[in-house]
Amino acid sequence: MDDYAIGVLTNIGLFSFVALSAYLLLIAGEMSFGQQAFFGVGAYAGGILTALYGWPLPVAAFAAMGLGALAQLLVALPTLRLRGLYFAMATLAAAEMARILFELLHWRRKVDGELAGPDGTQGFRGIRWIFEHGIEPLHYLGIVGVLLALVLALLLVVERSKLGATLRGVGEDPELAASVGVDVQRVKLAVAAAAGALAALGGVLYAHHNTYIEPRNFDIMLGVHSLAYALIGGLGTAFGPLLGVLLDIGVLESTRIFQGYRMIVFGGLVAVVLIYRPRGVLDERIVQWLRQRFS
Amino acid sequence: MAQAALFLIFFAAPLLAHAQSPQAELRCKATGEDFVYDCIITLSRGGRPLAGAEMAVAADMPTMPMAHNVRPARARPGAKPGEYKARLDLEMLGEWTIKLRLDSPVRDLLVLHYEFDSKGATPRKR
Repeated sequence: MDDYAIGVLTNIGLFSFVALSAYLLLIAGEMSFGQQAFFGVGAYAGGILTALYGWPLPVAAFAAMGLGALAQLLVALPTLRLRGLYFAMATLAAAEMARILFELLHWRRKVDGELAGPDGTQGFRGIRWIFEHGIEPLHYLGIVGVLLALVLALLLVVERSKLGATLRGVGEDPELAASVGVDVQRVKLAVAAAAGALAALGGVLYAHHNTYIEPRNFDIMLGVHSLAYALIGGLGTAFGPLLGVLLDIGVLESTRIFQGYRMIVFGGLVAVVLIYRPRGVLDERIVQWLRQRFS
Repeated sequence: MAQAALFLIFFAAPLLAHAQSPQAELRCKATGEDFVYDCIITLSRGGRPLAGAEMAVAADMPTMPMAHNVRPARARPGAKPGEYKARLDLEMLGEWTIKLRLDSPVRDLLVLHYEFDSKGATPRKR
């Protein structure tokens, strides 16, 4: 496999984590424009732990996921009482606040005689764990792929369980769910924490793939894209967001047919899909039909 | 023994690698074809030109990470020691993050910020 294919597939994998985190919130009935903030929290936390304190990447990744979950909980606690557009606006505002906090973050420390660490708008260089441990790009793609497969498998198991049914019930009609004894607020907080952890995992992997991060990496474009991928791909299954990422990064971008016009084509695709298939290509009806056909 | 090996893997190796980080500079000129640039990369390590390097040159946009997949170009040796040539085929004008993925003599990824316009590229000031 050449460098280009490895790069495209790694980007598809990395984007899928943040798209899946947006998807989790969507099936719980909440539209977040702010998942890039938790992706950023994961990237900064993981980078600081490995580059400045010499933590092994797997341990740093777990810690960053915990921090991502905590950060999303902190945002969710005051905002989950909002509905629809108001919640979406609140998450966007929170993400912009996080980006400005990244711009103000100066956490410099001497590593081997040189200052390293986040330096505000100058970014954070030298997140070199994978280079220092001889992990080749193809191997890193394998790591991203395995982690994504594990996350997908977990989500698919949850979706087919009672918990999955409860989650979709909360997303579709919270009043009805509450009337049958579901603690709607608690379910939504748990989903928010899981979404934050998932986005943070993507962020850790991104930071170590790139070796460099900066606050602008975590601006609204990333959040809008991840939400759009989940909406285009469909809300019927966890494969939906992956389909969304594949359509944009894997087809529109990689084939370069629409060079220079890709964003226009992508915007048009989002509009058309949302008009004709409001819950995406792989919506609940299609997934049900596929299950009946192949089971 | 196993503990010593683990120490080397997780702690000592990173410190050794960090001490040998190369530096890079970029000069690019527009070719006349839309968004295509001929670039000269100057590599150094410890103040000396870094000759005989093998690297791929890739690009990404800082405000849209992972969303652009510019085909990486293999750099060829240039006129002077430490100089390399590569042709970049970008997707649009604006600020790009240039990633130099070194395969030898050291494995590393150097990240540079340049503003690309209709004439060439200038380092991005902040």
